[in-house]
Amino acid sequence: MAYSFPEEVLEHVFSFLSSDKDRNSVSLVCKSWYEIERWCRRRIFVGNCYAVSPGIVIRRFPEVRAVEMKGKPHFADFNLVPEGWGGYVYPWIAAMSAAYPLLEEIKLKRMVVTDECLELISKSFKNFKVLVLSSCEGFTTDGLASIAANCRHLRELDLRESEVEDLSGHWLSHFPDNCTSLVSLNMSCLGSEVSFSALERLVARSPNLRTLRLNRAVPLEKLANLIRRAPQLVELGTGAYSAEIRSDILLNLTEAFSACKQLKGLSGFWDVVPAYLPAMYSVCSGITSLNLSYATIQSFDLVKLVTQCRNLQRLWVLDYIEDSGLEALASSCKDLQELRVFPSDPFGAEPNVSLTEQGLVSVSKGCPKLQSVLYFCRQMSNAALISIAKNRPKMVRFRLCIIEPRAPDYLTLEPLDAGFGAIVENCKELRRLSLSGLLTDRVFKYIGTHAKKLEMLSIAFAGDSDLGLHHVLSGCESLRKLEIRDCPFGDKALLANAAKLETMRSLWMSSCSVSYGACKLLGQKMPRLNVEVIDERGPPDSRPDSCPVERLYVYRTVAGRRIDMPGFVWTMDDEDSGLRFS
Amino acid sequence: MEVQLELALSSGSGKGSDPNQDCDQRKKRSFEEAFMGVKKKDVDDLHETLPLLIWDGNEEKKQQFDGELLEQKHIPKLAISNNREDNFVVVGWPPVKSWRRQFCHQISHRECTTNYVNVENNGGGGGGGRGSNSMYVKVKMEGVGITRKLNLSVHRSYHSLTAKLIAMFGICEENVEKYKLTYQDKEGHWLLARDVPWETFIHSVQRLKLQKMATTFYS
Repeated sequence: MAYSFPEEVLEHVFSFLSSDKDRNSVSLVCKSWYEIERWCRRRIFVGNCYAVSPGIVIRRFPEVRAVEMKGKPHFADFNLVPEGWGGYVYPWIAAMSAAYPLLEEIKLKRMVVTDECLELISKSFKNFKVLVLSSCEGFTTDGLASIAANCRHLRELDLRESEVEDLSGHWLSHFPDNCTSLVSLNMSCLGSEVSFSALERLVARSPNLRTLRLNRAVPLEKLANLIRRAPQLVELGTGAYSAEIRSDILLNLTEAFSACKQLKGLSGFWDVVPAYLPAMYSVCSGITSLNLSYATIQSFDLVKLVTQCRNLQRLWVLDYIEDSGLEALASSCKDLQELRVFPSDPFGAEPNVSLTEQGLVSVSKGCPKLQSVLYFCRQMSNAALISIAKNRPKMVRFRLCIIEPRAPDYLTLEPLDAGFGAIVENCKELRRLSLSGLLTDRVFKYIGTHAKKLEMLSIAFAGDSDLGLHHVLSGCESLRKLEIRDCPFGDKALLANAAKLETMRSLWMSSCSVSYGACKLLGQKMPRLNVEVIDERGPPDSRPDSCPVERLYVYRTVAGRRIDMPGFVWTMDDEDSGLRFS
Repeated sequence: MEVQLELALSSGSGKGSDPNQDCDQRKKRSFEEAFMGVKKKDVDDLHETLPLLIWDGNEEKKQQFDGELLEQKHIPKLAISNNREDNFVVVGWPPVKSWRRQFCHQISHRECTTNYVNVENNGGGGGGGRGSNSMYVKVKMEGVGITRKLNLSVHRSYHSLTAKLIAMFGICEENVEKYKLTYQDKEGHWLLARDVPWETFIHSVQRLKLQKMATTFYS
């Protein structure tokens, strides 16, 4: 029977495939499927902007409508990547402005975005709809003004946690009067005050507005007016939640909130005055996501609020909630899936709140759907970790930060190997894990043996020898991202598992014991990896080969070496052994 | 001890032992072959990525080896930053994003000036601080030798505070009128508590004193 399936039919079938993995599989079936698929792929995700070049992407996928991309390594969030390292999006925007005139969406994370980029975006893509800049930097409010002024069909402008040079709040006034398409606006990271009347008018003429995240500068007294104009809001981020205590403000706010029947997510809450919290009580039963991680209020105020949110699925909160508050949470919020507890005083030597491992144990016991945890605390025990592991075998993300590096089990003074071992052994679906506390090579043996679905692992101040790293690299079959700092891991494990690195997105190692010589060897022998040494002490050639490098970043790539490296980044490859810089 | 570097075949899966598998592999070209002009034999080479060092399976020997290596190795120092006024801090630890770091500095600065943490109870607390939900201040009653401590955070008005003080010092009804509640503010001045709104009082009080009415004082 002749193979006469019309292309259009195949294309139609492929249009139901949204996952990249599925589309990649489809492309491998045969040449004609590859061709059909590449012409109809509309969304691409580039996990590491240096793994591929704009040219390669555009050549293969000519009709893309949405691009999502990530730049700097995750540890850049904690100042471990020096300023100027890279992650520039400009070359991508420039190439796409010519190749993808119909581009609608750009989502970037940890990339350097300039005002020039923003202006180019606003002028090149007539149908531009969605701009999400997550933890990005390099632009000012002038760039935002270009986007506001020129993107006639803008639906989403989300600046989550980006560092924006805030020249003035005037940018918001650049949204033209006939712009009514806004669905989502997140300006919570901005410092300056925007014109409130411009904001009010914008909200009033945006009937599809679902998400509004204000910045701290929007005063509480004015919040009611805004909310009143958008009762259809699903997610709201307040500004500063404080004002002089006046009953008219409270009444106004209470009425405004009660009109928001669709509200599911709340955030903001800087400078909370507890007296104003009851204004929100009417919406609590519908709330599924609550970000109180900037709310510096005491445990009993937090508890009063949180225990009313019976359908809560996600809670981000400061450690002011304390163990007692978490216990109350565990009793009231049976749908809880994600808990993040942030430290209010991460640099203090002594605990300032009564939050211990007990809080997490309570939540793990009381919340059957708990699967994602980020928890900062000052003490932990193997017993607690074992308990958590047994309570919640369906855990998917487990990130524990015991504030003191190398802190042992506070009850037995032993390493926490057994505890984390229980986590990986019981939680077979675990995809992300961050370790802390006193850990020997043994914990890595457990991880290598059991954590078969683990995709991302973060290690700090742990392990005794290369054996630890070897266990991870040789055992964790699904590993994609590995980031390590301040561990005694050296050349042996790295070189013995060089092949593994091609199956991963990236490896970061800083303040470890990897020698320059080993980096050179790795770079020379593995042409499909970029092996980059980041060292602010000057050229690594000026030191002996046995000298350890400050930082090492290894990632697979089909784009060859970077051409935009700053002076403190050296690439190790078979051309002149890394003598050349950028 | 020198590190022996050898190139050798990976100890991975034995390829091509299944004849069916072989057959299929011959028929189907891999991605590289089909679209990047790579020859089949080269593709095989590509896939046989070789470790650059053979991991010695002998664990005991390894530990010894590692021990020796460790001595020669540079023991990594904690990356320490000096840009903090107080004790040295490890760079990027604890792993909180810059937003949160700035925010925490703000909180701790505020806590120092508004006495929201337990300023009077340092050191003696032993295991764990009192927590942010306490605000203990010293209270002295004129004529009484012993200074007491009071948790102000549980009070919301002068009314409840006064009631507590009366109970604490066992002041009988007729004597209540004889005392004035005064407080020392952040600048060290002694002020009459009821002269200021509760909010102002609670934000600046450092200690309390019950003074007999006849006493004169200066602010």
